[in-house]
Amino acid sequence: MKDNILDIQNLNIRFSTFDGLFTAVNDVSFSLGYDESIGIIGESGCGKSTLSYSVMKYLPSNAQVDGKVIFKGDDLLQKSDKEMEAVRGNRIAMVFQNPYSSLNPAHTIGFQLDEVGIHHQKLSKADARKASLEALELMNLGDVKAIVNRYPHQISGGIQQRVCIAMALLCKPDLMILDEPTTALDVTTEAVILDSIKALRDKLHMSLIYISHDMGVINKVAEQIIVMYNGEIVEKGPKQEIFNHPTHPYTRALINCMPRKGVVKENTKLNSIKGYVKKRGASEKGCPFADRCEKKNDTCEQLYRMREVGPDHIAACDRAYATDIPDKVVKPVKKVKKTVEEVQDEEKEIISLDSLTKVYGTRKKVYAVNGIDVSVQSGSVLGIVGESGCGKSTTGHMVSGLYKPTAGKIIFNGKDISLTWKKRDKETLKDIQLIFQNPGRSLNPSHTVQQIIDRPMKKLGMESDKNKRKKIIIDMLKKVDLGKEYLTKKPRQLSGGEQQRVAIARALTIHPQLVVCDEPTSALDVSVQASVLNLLNELQIESHAAYMFISHDLNVINYLSDNIMVMYAGKIAEYGTRDEVMAPPYHPYTEALLSAVPEVDPTKRNVAIELEGNLPNPSKKITGCPFAGRCHKQVGPICEQQAPPLVQVSPTHYYYCHISAMDV
Amino acid sequence: MNNFIQIIIRKVGSLLATLLVMSFIIFMLVEIMPGDVAQMILGQSATEESVAALRESRGLNDPVLVRYGRWVVNVIQGDLGESIYMQGVTINSILWRRVGHSLILAFAAFILFVPLSIFFGVLAGVKEKTVTDSIISFFGLATMALPEFVSGVFLISIFAVQMKVFPIVSVIPIGESLFENLDIVILPALSITFVMFGYISRMQRSSMIIVMNSDYIRAATLKGMPRRYVIFRHALKNALLPTITIIGMNMGWLFGGLIVVETLFGFPGMGSLLMTAIKTRDVPLIEACVLLITVIYSVSTMITDLLYSYLNPRVRFAGGQR
Amino acid sequence: MKYFIYQLRKHPLAIVGIVVILLWIFAAAFGPSMLNYTYTQLDSDHQMARPGENGHILGTDSLGRDILSRIVVGSRSILTVALFTSIVSTLIGILIGFSAGYFGGLTDTIFLRAMDILMAIPPLVLSMVVLGILGDSTIFSLTLIVSIAFVPATARVSRGVLLTEKSQEYVSAARIRGESHFYIMFVEILPNTTGPIIVEATARFAYSIMMVASLGFLGVGLQPPTPDWGMMVIENKPIIAQAPWTVLFPALAIASLVIAISIFSDFVSKVLVHER
Repeated sequence: MKDNILDIQNLNIRFSTFDGLFTAVNDVSFSLGYDESIGIIGESGCGKSTLSYSVMKYLPSNAQVDGKVIFKGDDLLQKSDKEMEAVRGNRIAMVFQNPYSSLNPAHTIGFQLDEVGIHHQKLSKADARKASLEALELMNLGDVKAIVNRYPHQISGGIQQRVCIAMALLCKPDLMILDEPTTALDVTTEAVILDSIKALRDKLHMSLIYISHDMGVINKVAEQIIVMYNGEIVEKGPKQEIFNHPTHPYTRALINCMPRKGVVKENTKLNSIKGYVKKRGASEKGCPFADRCEKKNDTCEQLYRMREVGPDHIAACDRAYATDIPDKVVKPVKKVKKTVEEVQDEEKEIISLDSLTKVYGTRKKVYAVNGIDVSVQSGSVLGIVGESGCGKSTTGHMVSGLYKPTAGKIIFNGKDISLTWKKRDKETLKDIQLIFQNPGRSLNPSHTVQQIIDRPMKKLGMESDKNKRKKIIIDMLKKVDLGKEYLTKKPRQLSGGEQQRVAIARALTIHPQLVVCDEPTSALDVSVQASVLNLLNELQIESHAAYMFISHDLNVINYLSDNIMVMYAGKIAEYGTRDEVMAPPYHPYTEALLSAVPEVDPTKRNVAIELEGNLPNPSKKITGCPFAGRCHKQVGPICEQQAPPLVQVSPTHYYYCHISAMDV
Repeated sequence: MNNFIQIIIRKVGSLLATLLVMSFIIFMLVEIMPGDVAQMILGQSATEESVAALRESRGLNDPVLVRYGRWVVNVIQGDLGESIYMQGVTINSILWRRVGHSLILAFAAFILFVPLSIFFGVLAGVKEKTVTDSIISFFGLATMALPEFVSGVFLISIFAVQMKVFPIVSVIPIGESLFENLDIVILPALSITFVMFGYISRMQRSSMIIVMNSDYIRAATLKGMPRRYVIFRHALKNALLPTITIIGMNMGWLFGGLIVVETLFGFPGMGSLLMTAIKTRDVPLIEACVLLITVIYSVSTMITDLLYSYLNPRVRFAGGQR
Repeated sequence: MKYFIYQLRKHPLAIVGIVVILLWIFAAAFGPSMLNYTYTQLDSDHQMARPGENGHILGTDSLGRDILSRIVVGSRSILTVALFTSIVSTLIGILIGFSAGYFGGLTDTIFLRAMDILMAIPPLVLSMVVLGILGDSTIFSLTLIVSIAFVPATARVSRGVLLTEKSQEYVSAARIRGESHFYIMFVEILPNTTGPIIVEATARFAYSIMMVASLGFLGVGLQPPTPDWGMMVIENKPIIAQAPWTVLFPALAIASLVIAISIFSDFVSKVLVHER
């Protein structure tokens, strides 16, 4: 038996709550060798965070724990809090999801770093500071002497997270646990952090537990993979094995349901898992995935146990043997043949934005959108992609009338509608619908599903007869895969996916011509995201409405869009048809974005282009190229001084850069 | 730091504006009080001519705004006018001594309830859902809206009537000063402490609980910092910040409480003076007292506001690098 | 309902609070008719009678008036005024706070300034001076003035609650389908704010009792012959050494009511806000 740094044996964690005892972690065993990294993947609520906190022996008081957590020969669960203090932050260090709230707002960065050295290594203040500065330098943080004197709110999210990682490194721990450390960050920042974690491992030889819901991220940092569902390990094995021969239906679904490179709406319907993760009572036994599994059969419950399916590869499913039942064949949804009118219709520009600009605030200005020119053809999908703060949501909100543009025009069906909702006519209000990011907040919690879907129909004068409206609502609910029984439910009683379906139903029952989708799937779990994307795609084809689809996720945009607009700092970086944007020549920013997206295929290794520095200050007007400060292809001072010219690659494809199409 | 100076300037500006409007409201309020000032000064037996003459000489026939302007100018010059009820006595000569007494009483209460409520609030917050917490929380709940005169009556019954360690009434013998009779301050100060303790300790408890459940406390604990250290160095600094604001907001209740306990104990302070002024309808004295309470209260709120901004790095270094 | 009973079982103290409140309401409604003495009756043979003497369960004051019947009758006015005050101040608070928070901008700035000014004078001082100047307080004037003194507090709470809700996207969704301001404020937002508003109203009830009792104590509350708990305390304070019951029982009455309501409001906030 090889020497392990961490051995978890038959760990059970249950929580007692108002609704009774429920299982968070059920009979989990695994081990981790020295200098090995393991990735734990699963959706929210599947117990992966609880598992990692149990390694730190940090669980709420209503938790009941049994089993063993053996770290370097000692069972941590037997240790007292006092004894754990010597382990935490010293031998095992942890990095959390949200760096901003994990740093104490009342102390400087330096103080929070130094105290680790002072406590664990009994360093003097001066020595501790020296160690802190060294740790920060390991993370390539530039002017580290300035950073230590800052307060957390004075540095950006990416730097905050790197500070947190530096903090975890201070005592050269044997084991580092990273709990979704990049989930709250932009994809380019994520790429930088993932690369630095890899570099650190090469340098410091520590073991790693990396928790994530994103297969692509796990692929980048882990050698071993554990797939968890509802508190149980359902599959475990080396990365190559898991990716090449996923055995458990849940693992397969996880890999297949993510939109990924090369997967587009024309050729693939995303694989989705029905239902959602339900809390599990402590008395429930058997396969936790049974209620959502499409390949369930009568023998499932009987034969449920862990089995070896390959070298070091185990899975908790009978299907591992019964591979005779094939995966459901994924058939693309064919576009219905268009009639002549429809083809003509498609030519029609339904909406066009003419140097649309939005500046927030009067005294302290924030330049959110700085002159956007783009148009959407009826019945097509325009994907708008960019990182947080690039103005993509503001653009969508101006189109739907939440904000009034500071300058520029929105022409909708030949009519200037650059006004807020107050001044738009009923027809326009009906024809442009908005689907929000967070369905839990976009549905009024005190209204029923029926009231929610009914109101726009009534208000915008589509149907005056209440009974007829009810019939329409029921039909619509059916289309979004919800039954009649949902009519009287309130949003709180629905899962996130169901809520978003109701929101989609609300937007589409009144037959809008344009639907603005503002990150409609980013608040959802990956398995739910797939089904919502499928639904949006089907309804788009059926209703022939145009979509303006806003997302930070290039894979999602790639899957659903006909045309793509890449935004950076309130400006268009690149525009073209989907295939044009996804293939060279690129705008350097598009290139960086594409390279930063984590791959789901373990054989492909993309090297992310590292973007240093921050977004340009939004309260200053930019004269040159907004991307100049971070661009890896900067040609010279011209980038910062002159606005980049439009480079027309094809009639439908252009970008703004000082580098011509040939040189890119 | 520039940021902070800006905050100070803005606060002082808004304070002055508030006072100006407030003084006008006070003046107008008293203006609608039934009864003729001149008549009151001279008594019921005065002849109509003499009343008219007095009105003329005191300028009581001038329009309201003129009289208001005159009053404001006088106040700024430090002249609060003469009392009507105690004729020939300037308000300056009686008010300041009383203000001093009240401030001493307020201060005595302050140094009692601030540390007590913070200590027990923090303790209850740290020991959330234990017996200690239940006891402290119940006590806070019970005293939160308990009028000062009720707690005062209980205190008198125990310490003055039963044990006879403190006097029932707080009188300063003629010719002596408050400093020679400090024992008369204790019961009134304690009475105020109860209600202030109730509210502030509860607030302190909940802010402590919020902080203790925050991500950065979890992070500090998982960095291996000892619990005591986490509480004192990480949690306290954040949990005390909102308390500063809470204390500032509660200074209003403190001043209301002063009037009540001063009345209960017959304590020679500003509150009981105001009470007398209202009962005797002594217009200039009412105006002076209310104005002064407003000034003291506003200034103390402003100080707590400034203290909050100064201690909160997020306000002090707003903007920064983001 | 099941959840409510579950909560009650978890917080046994709340049951005590609710029972005490119900007892006082019962006493106010039916008490006076069940007692031996009326509240104005002077038992001149038994002045400062000890509790129990000559059928005076809680004794008499220096004029020989029955303490118990004065307390029972006094509960009527204080309960009425405090109840109306908490309702009126909460309603005005919702109206002002909602409008200010919803419309924002200049409306909000004016509101905040006005509240700053109104808050510059402590609520008790404000009510005391105004009532003192007006003289001869009635239930109406008392309710009105105390409500106004409380409005800055209730309006601020309502405004805060509204601001949290306003940032929710369902409000944006209502806007872009052209709903009126009235509809958004009262049909969309209001139902989602009932929890915090009820909590505020019950807490306000406790403060109203405190305030009304204090005003009575200061002599600017309801005028004699209406018995007033606060006034009973100050009237009898000079004889506290000889006849402590004359002061202690009204004080206990106030304390029991105030504490019961505080416990109740704490329970309501636990049920409605925190544990959802």
